[in-house]
Amino acid sequence: MARAVTKQRKTLNTLVAWAVGLLIFFPILWTILTSFKTEAQAINDPPLFLFFDWTLENYGVVQERSDYMRFLWNSIILAGGSTLLGILVAVPAAWSMAFVPSKRTKDILLWMLSTKMLPAVGVLYPIYLLFIELGLLDSRVGLTIVLMLINLPIIVWMLYTYFREIPGEILEAARMDGASLREEILYVLTPMAIPGIASTILLNFILAWNEAFWTLNLTAAKAAPLTAFIASYSSPEGLFYAKLSAASTMAIAPILILGWFSQKQLVRGLTFGAVK
Amino acid sequence: MSEWLENHLPKMVLAPSFIAVLVFVYGFIGWTAWVSLTRSKLLPRYEIHGFIQYDRLFASPRWDTAMNNLFIFGALFIVIAMVLGLLLAIMLDQKIRTEGVIRTIYLYPMALSMIVTGTAWKWILNPGLGIEATVRGWGFENFSFDWVVNPDFAIYTIVLAAVWQSSGFVMALFLAGLRSVDGEIIKAAQVDGIPTWRIYTAIIIPSMAPIFLSAFIVLAHLAIKSFDLVIALTGGGPGYATDLPATYMYAMAFSRGDIGQAASSAMIMMLVVFAIVVPYLYSELRAKTDG
Repeated sequence: MARAVTKQRKTLNTLVAWAVGLLIFFPILWTILTSFKTEAQAINDPPLFLFFDWTLENYGVVQERSDYMRFLWNSIILAGGSTLLGILVAVPAAWSMAFVPSKRTKDILLWMLSTKMLPAVGVLYPIYLLFIELGLLDSRVGLTIVLMLINLPIIVWMLYTYFREIPGEILEAARMDGASLREEILYVLTPMAIPGIASTILLNFILAWNEAFWTLNLTAAKAAPLTAFIASYSSPEGLFYAKLSAASTMAIAPILILGWFSQKQLVRGLTFGAVK
Repeated sequence: MSEWLENHLPKMVLAPSFIAVLVFVYGFIGWTAWVSLTRSKLLPRYEIHGFIQYDRLFASPRWDTAMNNLFIFGALFIVIAMVLGLLLAIMLDQKIRTEGVIRTIYLYPMALSMIVTGTAWKWILNPGLGIEATVRGWGFENFSFDWVVNPDFAIYTIVLAAVWQSSGFVMALFLAGLRSVDGEIIKAAQVDGIPTWRIYTAIIIPSMAPIFLSAFIVLAHLAIKSFDLVIALTGGGPGYATDLPATYMYAMAFSRGDIGQAASSAMIMMLVVFAIVVPYLYSELRAKTDG
């Protein structure tokens, strides 16, 4: 509801919105701040907010003790690999549904999206057994495929909503000019589809990066990404708050930065296209 | 050849996604359903023995706690997240400066893994370190906030963290709804001197009914699937006071070696989701054919 608002009112509203934002952001901010404290300062009573001796030693210790880089590398491979694989499978499907729709298209889309709502535990055990059988347990290949499959419905859906925004008249014009199917895809559709594909890649990368259910259940050490690393780190609680915070900060930093530079896509992606 | 290709290509390229989802979801659900009817323990067995696993499940006090928790957690989480989301959306709709930045900050919790942000929540909720210690430090020596270690209240800390994670997302959905309300009607109401709160309760909010429905569906299925939230905050404890169906299933499958129980609990979760999602899909499909 757009209304006429006075200047003072607008400033006040903005301040309130920022105050709420700070409150929401506090747990994240606190993790980042704690990562720069010593262990003693991290559990100081009363808590120290900004005036402590900033130190980087936690970051060094985390890497030294638990080979943080290996988990980071696994996260990058798993999130990146499953995203690219998913895009390869989903682009043709979404293209077909957006530009050559049939009577069933909407039903198929809704059905695909509905499977995303089913709890993953229903398929966990058979996949676990299958993985043992095929020797895929704790392997990057296996987990990449599973992550691709669980996010496939969302990738198809996102791509579909983007492709639908490409005006059909352009395709008709191209056909009138005698463009073949190949040329149509290569020179007309692809350039217009790239922003949508990029946004979908971003969203899916974030989802796969954060995935905890499957990574916790299907990995042990070799293929474990950052989420599994953090989960394993947090058991002896209280003693290692500063180091755990350093590890957490390194795990969320890529998403914080990606999200900041692609605010629009983040909002649109996380709301499944409802907010543009 | 090329004409045949042009006619059939759309279907052929759709097939891999379609088949992948079909096999991956329904094939494996079928397997789980089958195993839930057997006496499987540490290893799956395939002779059907009827509903013994379900009888055991419903007789288990731990499952009882998990289902109770799901309803307490689900109801509180959905209602609070929706109310907060709506209030945040109305606030952001007042012509705010730097709106894009603020929207991103509100959405951050949803974009970060709870496994990771759970660290901060553990600290905040820890009686010796977080809120309790801070408020006591201000001089309120008798202040107490020990929900996370109190079996009667631990489930509410899960609600707290879940609301924190999702209300920004609900806000974004509602904001889109607010922006799509016809501005002319609102102007007319303002000219007629109708107070702002009446405009909201009588015109704007009723016209957003479909958004309430989708927000509800998304939140409900998040509640049922909640797993990493519990793992990150309480690990199901103290005892099994914060067990949810997903963590129950996980415990049965991986630490108790009781596949039959795991499968039957997964099937019950599945039924609960179906009970919520199917009517929604049905109404979506019908709305489409009517339009």
